[in-house]
Amino acid sequence: MSDYFESEDILKSYDSALMRRLLKYLRPYLAVFLLSLAALLASSAGELALPVIVQRTVDAHILPYHRGLVVSKLPADQLERLGKLDPALRIGDIQYLRVSGLGALSALEKDRLRAQGALLEPNYLVLRGYSDSEAARRVMASRPSLFRTVDGVAVIAEQDFRSLKPGERRALRADDFRGLARAAVWFFLVLAGVLLFTFGQTYLQAYVGQMIMKDLRTEAFDHTVGLSLRYLDSQPVGRLVNRITNDVETVNELFTSVLPSLLRDFVMMGGVLVALTLLNPRLALVTLATLPPVLVLTLLFRSRAREVFRRVRQAVSRLNGFLAEHLSGMRIVQLFVRERFSLGQFRERNDRLLEANLGEMYVFATFRPLVDLFSTTSLAAIIYFGGRFVLRDLVSLGTLIAFLNLIRMFYEPVMDLSEKYNILQSAMAGSERVFGLLDTDARIPEPAAPKALEAVRGAIEFERVSFAYKEGEAVLRDLSFRVKAGETVAIVGYTGAGKTTITSLLTRLWDIQSGSIRLDGTDIREYSTASLRRRVQSVLQDVFIFSGTVAENIRLGSPISDERVRQAVELVRADTFIDRLPGGLEARLAERGSNLSMGQRQLLSFARVLAHNPDVLILDEATGNIDTETEKLIQAALVALLKGRTSLVIAHRLSTIRHADRILVLHKGELFEEGSHAELIARQGMYYNLYRLQYLDEEPA
Amino acid sequence: MLREFRTLLPYLRRYWPRYLAGLLFLLLADAGQLYLPQLVRRAVDLVASGGFSLAGLVPPVLLAIATAGLIALGRFFWRFFINGSSRRIENELRERLFAHLQALSTTFYGKSKTGDLMAHMTNDMNAIRMATGMAFVSFVDGFFLTLAILVILLAQNPRLALLSISPLPVLTVGVILFGKIVGEKFKSVQEGFSAMSDLAQESIAGIRVLKIFVQEQAFGRRFADKNRDYSDRNLSLAKTFGFFFPLVGFLAGLTSLIFLLLGGRSVMEGSLSPGMFTAFFAYLQMLIWPMLGAGFTVNLLQRAGASLGRINKILAEQPDIASPPPAQARRGPLQGDIRLHALSYAYPGMEKPVLLNLELDIPAGSIVGLLGRTGSGKSTLVNLLPRLLDPPPGAVFVDGHDVREYDLASLRSAIRVVPQDTFLFSTSIRENIAFGAEDADAGLLEKAAAISTIRRDLGNFPQGWETVVGERGITLSGGQKQRVALSRAIAAQAAIYILDDAMSSVDTETEEAILSALLPRLRGSTVILVSHRVSTLRNADRVVVLEGGRITQEGTPAQLAAIPGFYADILRLQQLEKILKGHG
Repeated sequence: MSDYFESEDILKSYDSALMRRLLKYLRPYLAVFLLSLAALLASSAGELALPVIVQRTVDAHILPYHRGLVVSKLPADQLERLGKLDPALRIGDIQYLRVSGLGALSALEKDRLRAQGALLEPNYLVLRGYSDSEAARRVMASRPSLFRTVDGVAVIAEQDFRSLKPGERRALRADDFRGLARAAVWFFLVLAGVLLFTFGQTYLQAYVGQMIMKDLRTEAFDHTVGLSLRYLDSQPVGRLVNRITNDVETVNELFTSVLPSLLRDFVMMGGVLVALTLLNPRLALVTLATLPPVLVLTLLFRSRAREVFRRVRQAVSRLNGFLAEHLSGMRIVQLFVRERFSLGQFRERNDRLLEANLGEMYVFATFRPLVDLFSTTSLAAIIYFGGRFVLRDLVSLGTLIAFLNLIRMFYEPVMDLSEKYNILQSAMAGSERVFGLLDTDARIPEPAAPKALEAVRGAIEFERVSFAYKEGEAVLRDLSFRVKAGETVAIVGYTGAGKTTITSLLTRLWDIQSGSIRLDGTDIREYSTASLRRRVQSVLQDVFIFSGTVAENIRLGSPISDERVRQAVELVRADTFIDRLPGGLEARLAERGSNLSMGQRQLLSFARVLAHNPDVLILDEATGNIDTETEKLIQAALVALLKGRTSLVIAHRLSTIRHADRILVLHKGELFEEGSHAELIARQGMYYNLYRLQYLDEEPA
Repeated sequence: MLREFRTLLPYLRRYWPRYLAGLLFLLLADAGQLYLPQLVRRAVDLVASGGFSLAGLVPPVLLAIATAGLIALGRFFWRFFINGSSRRIENELRERLFAHLQALSTTFYGKSKTGDLMAHMTNDMNAIRMATGMAFVSFVDGFFLTLAILVILLAQNPRLALLSISPLPVLTVGVILFGKIVGEKFKSVQEGFSAMSDLAQESIAGIRVLKIFVQEQAFGRRFADKNRDYSDRNLSLAKTFGFFFPLVGFLAGLTSLIFLLLGGRSVMEGSLSPGMFTAFFAYLQMLIWPMLGAGFTVNLLQRAGASLGRINKILAEQPDIASPPPAQARRGPLQGDIRLHALSYAYPGMEKPVLLNLELDIPAGSIVGLLGRTGSGKSTLVNLLPRLLDPPPGAVFVDGHDVREYDLASLRSAIRVVPQDTFLFSTSIRENIAFGAEDADAGLLEKAAAISTIRRDLGNFPQGWETVVGERGITLSGGQKQRVALSRAIAAQAAIYILDDAMSSVDTETEEAILSALLPRLRGSTVILVSHRVSTLRNADRVVVLEGGRITQEGTPAQLAAIPGFYADILRLQQLEKILKGHG
């Protein structure tokens, strides 16, 4: 269990080489990815457009303040600078124009104009479309002194407008109301667009992420099952599974949470700056000036965050490792009365984790509020300078309001930076581990030009074979023997004699260190492992049952017809119990076949081999206890199994040995005796003794 | 579900001053947040009025910065107090759970998976922490901010306020609903993950079969199927997520839209000032998070409730093997006299007894051999003595008293076991050997290592005594592991030693060498030798043969060798092996 909580020593922050390698997996989905980027841009643009719509509405319809200029009192050069003026808003000598339209004049000039009475003090409202409205005309008629009109356009000073009754005000501004309604429609459309594009973007990103994960996982799986047993046996199964599943999952985070939101943040922050500049470059400049502290803070935070995050991860893995170990070894703790001691150890790790967590909290608890503080500072600066600009008629009120909204959008991504940073780190660590597995190149070497292996006769030859699983712990020493084609040979010997190892060597699950193993006169290393293993198959001592149906367990993954499966089952007489299972061949077997007895599993594995019909069979007989009934079945099945092929039987039962043409007696990895049953008995050597002690009582009395 | 939260009460009771302080700072931050739009309003109205002096803008601007400072302070300290407390509660609860787990018996561990227990220690603890931290904050935040903003908005313009916020309750309900849907989809994703992970697990565990039958590719395809299925489930979840979050934005946008339309009219009519218009906008945006938070709180609490339920179940699990009350408990020192009387034992929930009516006397200081096939009940018997499994009353006696009457620590300290399946901790060899002997000095450890002959191997390890054995002793060979476990058992003095097939991975010569040093060292203590080897059993004063849970033979090794039976059979077999060794 502790495999699942291995310690994590290496913590990557950003690693560009790793990232490049990850991005390679993106290539097949580049089109979708680009589409999602387009959706991202569209939705971001929409989000940025919303405050701008509000600004436009405020300036055009809600607070459409105008100024009045007495044209005749205005110096010609200044008039020139104001550019093209709306002739519809020229009433007599007075030209009305938007507040922001005066930006071309300096504050000094405006002050001078005011003093000269050339720039009129009040805010004016420009009313259009009143001529269509009976009510509006009535209001104007009732108080003509307040209005200046020409060609369907009326102008009224704001303070005069306020003196009217609400009903009258509403009647007069019907045109603005319509404008507001139009803006609302736009607003809604953009909002709906944002909804659509954001959904599209999120989904497409998830799709790309999932596809990449799928590819990466499949690759990791295929790679792993292709590795040699020398490597696989040295690794806890849980760790390998972890690489393929959980570690890949952390990489997924990178593609589904980190990358899209980083892109989004980038686009939004950039977009805000662009929008601000477009709205008003001057105020944008002021806003920009308030940003450096945030940048510095973020940089500082980044290095601090990496440190505290590393401490947390280490503390977590230390605690989890301890827990996993002590929960599975609780018996030892209790036996040695070490509960108090291990509670102390636990407490130390638990407290260290608390410290690390609190440390992380302090950093984060400082960062976020500070960013927020800076955000408000920016806001205050915008208000102060914005107010100043409004005063100098450089900025409209709507623009000021838009700035206040936009700056909030700028700061939001900065706030979430911390979480994204954490995810990025674990994703990097995870991908490094996955790639580490993919880079493991421990395979049984395939011959460059494999010899064809078709019609196998089945002659086996071991010549001076030596083998050790671990260096210096030889299991087979200089072992030589021959098995003629079609012969059945039994191998006997005490536990640890190296019998089981032979099955692994002949199928090249492991490669030998010296000597040669030949099939039909050719070293097995000259065949491709796949073709060799199709011809030479073994039945293992502990039968491994996969979860799935009986038929699936016989077929495994090979294209074997139903009839042949049925035939195999019947030949080994496994049908006696399979037919009693609900569903027969289609009955589902529990994990590891726990709903089958040992004997039944054995029969099933016989059927498995028979269905695959190898030319050479190696049978590692089960040693466990099997009831006599099943034992008889198995013996009968053996006959079917061994018939017509070269067989090597690692025998534990006399009855099995009886089927053999010849017997090899192995002792400590060496061939000790060899001969037929009768010959060996006559020799009165090791076999004779083994036979007397181990097998004699099996003889029917 | 609320009942499950009772477990947290003692902690909350202890931490309430911190929570109170956190609450005050949270309210400070909230109040500041509520005040900011008012300042903006003042400033905007001032600007909108046209005829204003720049000096008039200075107070609201400075006040805004000051308020922001207070908010930052409030935010830091509520995190400090509330998140700090939730971390501390997590820490204490985890310790409590671990301490409790230590008291639970082998029976409990037999029925629980380590993986599940780990999940309780990690995921469930996280969920509980979220409830005591984030949920608390989002509840207070949600409640207080919502209420305050509603009051402000309603006071200003009730009709406008009510109409504008009308989409928001949909949001809260949406989050709760969404939590449910996501919960289901998430479960489906988890199932997909399990299926995929199980297949990977199975394929790697059964890699030999895969390779022998050249099924790597077939399983690769099968894995790809599961993999695709998992991706599909994930995408379905992503669809929900991908829809929900934009929907939040959409609903929030609707609020703004309604307000733009209605509020805009009010400004045009002059019944709402431009400043208030801006402030209203800000308040509406501030409402989104609390409304979302309200929904999340519900989800967080539900999740924490489920987690607490699982943890409560473990905490409610009574240690079925415990010391008698301290006043009545017997304590050592023990002599090591063992008596079994009519001992029958069946595992809980199993009908068939593993041990049947055993009668046995083992005088203190004697060496008893135990022989039997796999499944004959030897290990069960070994587990009953130190009460790793609980014998029925009146069946197992040490020094004339029922083992159930002893203080558990005292009993177990008197019995040192070398179990069949060697379990080492991933620490150094020194720490492993000193595991049961806190006060053992270096000399004692040396001696223990010398007797098991592991000491001579230490020279081959670059780190010697400090060699870290790795996960489950993965860096050591089987024999080395067993010898470390043996040293661990004999590093401390005990009345009874049980060697449960403790040297099966050690070759016979080494075993004999170990025994010849070990047995004199253990003289005076009772020794139970469980072994398949006659050469080992020969050292016993008496050998007991267990077959099918019954004692079938009993006597001195010489006696048993003379009569036909299991012992004599094994003896013959192994004598031959010895002869053969001469050949080899």
